[in-house]
Amino acid sequence: MFLAFIFGLLFAISLVTFLTGRYSSRFAMAGSVLILVLVAGYLLEVMQGYSGGITGKYSYPLNAEYQIFFSVGINGFTGPLLLAAAIVFPLSIYISLKEKYDGKFYGLMMLAETGLFGVLISRDMILFYIFWEFVLVPVFFLILMYGGEGRNSVALKFFVYTHIGSALILLAIFSLYAYYFSVYGIYTMQMSALTQPSFVSQIPLFWELFIVAGLMIGFLVKLPVFPFHAWLPDSYDVAPYPVTVAIAGGLSLMGGYGLFGIMLGLKSLFPALVLWILVGISIVSLIYFALTAMFQTSIKRMMAYASAGSMGFVLLAFAAGIMEESGVEYNLVLSGGMFQILAHAIIISLLFVNIFFIKLKAGTDTLGGLGGIYREAPVLSTIMLGGLLASLGLPGLAGFIGEFSILGGSFQAIGYLIFFVIFSMIITASYHIWMAQRTLYGPYNEHLGGIRDLSRPEMAVLGAVLILILVLGVFPSPLFSLFSSYAGGII
Amino acid sequence: MIIQWLIVLAPLIAAPITLAAGKWKRNLAGIIASLSIGISLAISGITYFGVSSGSTYQEQFTWFSNVSYGIYIDPLAVTMALMVSFVSLMIHLFAMYYMGKDPNRHVYFVETSLFTAGMLGIAVSSNLLEFFMFWELVGLCSYLLIGFWFFKPNATAAAKKAFIVTRVGDLLFLIGIVALYEGITTSALSADPLGIQYLITHSSAVLAALGSTKLFFVTVMLLGGAIGKSSQFPLHVWIPDAMEGPTTVSALIHAATMVTAGIYLVARVYPLFVAAGPDMLYILAILGAFTAFMAGTMGIVMNDIKRILAYSTISQLGYMLSALGLFSIYGSAAVGISLYHLVSHAFFKAMLFMSAGAILIALMDLRDVRQMGGLWKKMPVTVTLLFIGSITLAAVPFTSAYFSKDTIISASWLYYSGNGSIMYALPWFLLELGSLMTVLYTFRMFFLVAIGKPRSFLAEHARDPPLVALIPVAILGFFSLVFGVFQGSFYNFVSGFSVSVKPVPLEIELIPLLMLVLGVAVAYLIYGTGAWSRLKLSRLPGYKFLKNKYYLDRLYTNVIAERGILPLSGAFGSFEDSYNTANVRAGRGVLSFGSLLRKLQSGIVENYFLVIIVAFSIIFVLVDLMGGF
Repeated sequence: MFLAFIFGLLFAISLVTFLTGRYSSRFAMAGSVLILVLVAGYLLEVMQGYSGGITGKYSYPLNAEYQIFFSVGINGFTGPLLLAAAIVFPLSIYISLKEKYDGKFYGLMMLAETGLFGVLISRDMILFYIFWEFVLVPVFFLILMYGGEGRNSVALKFFVYTHIGSALILLAIFSLYAYYFSVYGIYTMQMSALTQPSFVSQIPLFWELFIVAGLMIGFLVKLPVFPFHAWLPDSYDVAPYPVTVAIAGGLSLMGGYGLFGIMLGLKSLFPALVLWILVGISIVSLIYFALTAMFQTSIKRMMAYASAGSMGFVLLAFAAGIMEESGVEYNLVLSGGMFQILAHAIIISLLFVNIFFIKLKAGTDTLGGLGGIYREAPVLSTIMLGGLLASLGLPGLAGFIGEFSILGGSFQAIGYLIFFVIFSMIITASYHIWMAQRTLYGPYNEHLGGIRDLSRPEMAVLGAVLILILVLGVFPSPLFSLFSSYAGGII
Repeated sequence: MIIQWLIVLAPLIAAPITLAAGKWKRNLAGIIASLSIGISLAISGITYFGVSSGSTYQEQFTWFSNVSYGIYIDPLAVTMALMVSFVSLMIHLFAMYYMGKDPNRHVYFVETSLFTAGMLGIAVSSNLLEFFMFWELVGLCSYLLIGFWFFKPNATAAAKKAFIVTRVGDLLFLIGIVALYEGITTSALSADPLGIQYLITHSSAVLAALGSTKLFFVTVMLLGGAIGKSSQFPLHVWIPDAMEGPTTVSALIHAATMVTAGIYLVARVYPLFVAAGPDMLYILAILGAFTAFMAGTMGIVMNDIKRILAYSTISQLGYMLSALGLFSIYGSAAVGISLYHLVSHAFFKAMLFMSAGAILIALMDLRDVRQMGGLWKKMPVTVTLLFIGSITLAAVPFTSAYFSKDTIISASWLYYSGNGSIMYALPWFLLELGSLMTVLYTFRMFFLVAIGKPRSFLAEHARDPPLVALIPVAILGFFSLVFGVFQGSFYNFVSGFSVSVKPVPLEIELIPLLMLVLGVAVAYLIYGTGAWSRLKLSRLPGYKFLKNKYYLDRLYTNVIAERGILPLSGAFGSFEDSYNTANVRAGRGVLSFGSLLRKLQSGIVENYFLVIIVAFSIIFVLVDLMGGF
């Protein structure tokens, strides 16, 4: 009930934000922080001693005849993701305060957060789908109205790409729905019913492939992985920084949620060949994005590819986990994948927030235009370096826990293919460090004039996120055991 | 929580305090950092007495899943912790003088105390993944410290190189951990598959579970990590460049906190290496011996005083690695033999770097030995210390390295005579030659620096630093000279049983001494008196090959990176660009296709029916082919 209340409150806040005029920025900031506090408090309360299953259930019938409910709830996986979303949005609104935006902007941002929350908490397939689509709309308008050069075509590309993915998801959902009716004679859109093993195992081969293909393509576009990623670099690049943070940190949770929140329940539908194809896609993505990122000349775009690269790990964890079926390693690799989704969201938000500040203070975010900014802005550079190290998977920071778990858990399934993964990690480390060398260190680029370091409040915000990443890396256990109990007891 | 946690936590917790205090008063930073390391040293000392009376200290907590973290202290670990904290403390004390005028010295001390914490963490870790975490902390700090003078392009390039090259090794290490983890977890051998105590006490069970091929693979990967960190061939290329950092950083890296980590890794999980079979041990012996020789040859042609010392480190580490391969002679006491050289090397290498640092301050960072000369008269105390370091490095009888290094060389002869085949003679042969190289480059450096006439204005006006600053160096010098008397007890302590140094025939034992005399004589004739000064190194065949560092740097930088990875990245990047463009074109195509479709909507109902029927037939046929509904 409280969960539904938080959601309703968020929705109300986003609607009111449109009306608050020149107070909208402060209102959105306060609202999103309020939501963060509520979510954090709520999770602390309900996730104590969590041992699988769904908590915070609330259901309200929307259509009695076809059994469609407004049904929400969270589990050990979506709970932490919700928290990540609740952290990312205040961050992105925080940096938007440094620039001038109108009430519409903040309203759309809050609407996007509402949609994302809806996706994560829905326990009804059709509700899930509605929110999945719902998120696209505010983001589309945010890119279209506030984006940089080429925003028209980029916004359209973003919309068409993800929309095609969504359409496939809808078809697959309806197939599940219809087949459930043909087996049991009742209509239901409940996720728990549509993904229960006794039903899933009865689905015949044709529908099996259809459902897997539909849902997977939809989720892989959103994730994204090669070759479904063409919307990503442009959208990240063209969107204004606050929106980039929201997409990279917030919306990237959706693809991962699709895999681990929904597809995991349907894991018996996957033929071995499809799993190997997924492993192949993930490894190609890892290498492809790493090499492509190295080639970029804008830090923002480079980090967009880095973000896509970490998603290769998520897919690898998913595919390898299903291959292993059960056991300690099954649990480890899936928990690692989920950890990676969450860690990536926070790390990439920190990076984009940081690059925003570099752009704000130095006036440029290209590799060639920067250089040696450590001299003028040591704190900013240090936090940036912290983000980069987390992103390349340095132990002790959040990124490593996911990567180790994925490697350790998937080795049995993928064997010596691990060398390709390691190759991508070497390239990733190289371009991160190379970038740091060319932008943060070395002789100061005097063309930049004098630039300022972070102010104290900015330091506090960014430092807090970096400390969060450190804490997650050193004490992953509370979160990890949540994921692990979810992986052990998929509903 | 046992008190031994403070060994790691003291410098770790001190780091932020150092930063805050250093911001307020710069000079406080060095004091706080040194104090924290003093605490580590004191607790290591207390622990030493506990361990030597037979107890081990351990405590573990769950990290995540079935991976734990904690502390495990046995004789090996406490030896390492003592060495690291002691040498690091001495270097910190010296750094308060050496870095005394740097405006960012508080940052320096934060980083060095983290560096030390990382290394102490490696020493006392109870789990291989925890070990890896501290291992990477050490790597990170070395990156930061090598690039400490961030405004120097060379320094940042060297830092990047160090990070990436060691990262290659680190990721191999990670594969090793992953494979080990997977093997032990799958066969459900242990609830804590990466626990170090488990690994070293159950190596035969691990061998049985993994099979010899896979265990061999695991150890090769672990060795890959050790090679990267301990800068052994072929991943040694980062360390000479790392000389761009402050000299005290070099002292830390070379003696206490970084390069010894790789040797320690092999020593830590030594039973696994033994279980992997004699081939693995041979690889250790030959790789170490080859590195010892190869780095020695390069040391001879370098002119930068710090680079000479850098190559000497690589070479000495080769001896340590090689010693670990001599299991067939000394059994698991090979660890003690290797560690003994590690500790004595830490003493004299730290003091060599610090005396070089004192010289560099006096010469305003002039590092070319050809421009020095006559410094023994100009700065007598410093150069005397340099002399003590040099004779120890060259293993002059009764210095510590004489006991530690010549034991390794003798053992390598036994290794050959025990096995008989010529293949086993190679490590011995290379180690003997390596010791000749050591003497040559050491005394070449020393004679060029110390005697003759000053060859530059700066050298003429060099002065000793304040003697207080040299006290830590002198303490290390004292240990370099007398540490040899502890040889037997050291072996016994680390191995846990009584070890006797095996005798070798006198003529074999004399070879290193012969090399010593020969080396000193040649170096003296060429560089000391000038009698053979017409004999120019640069005219010798092979000089260019050595000067170009065996072309390995070129291979990595100019071939693999610039002709391999970068063009590949360029190709992928341009493909990505055209892929993006193609997407846009396809989008336009779809739009025009849409207007084409508009024409199809003719409004003629029969046509619609036709399309529906054809479509349904296709779907039904498909469904039927795939097994029906």
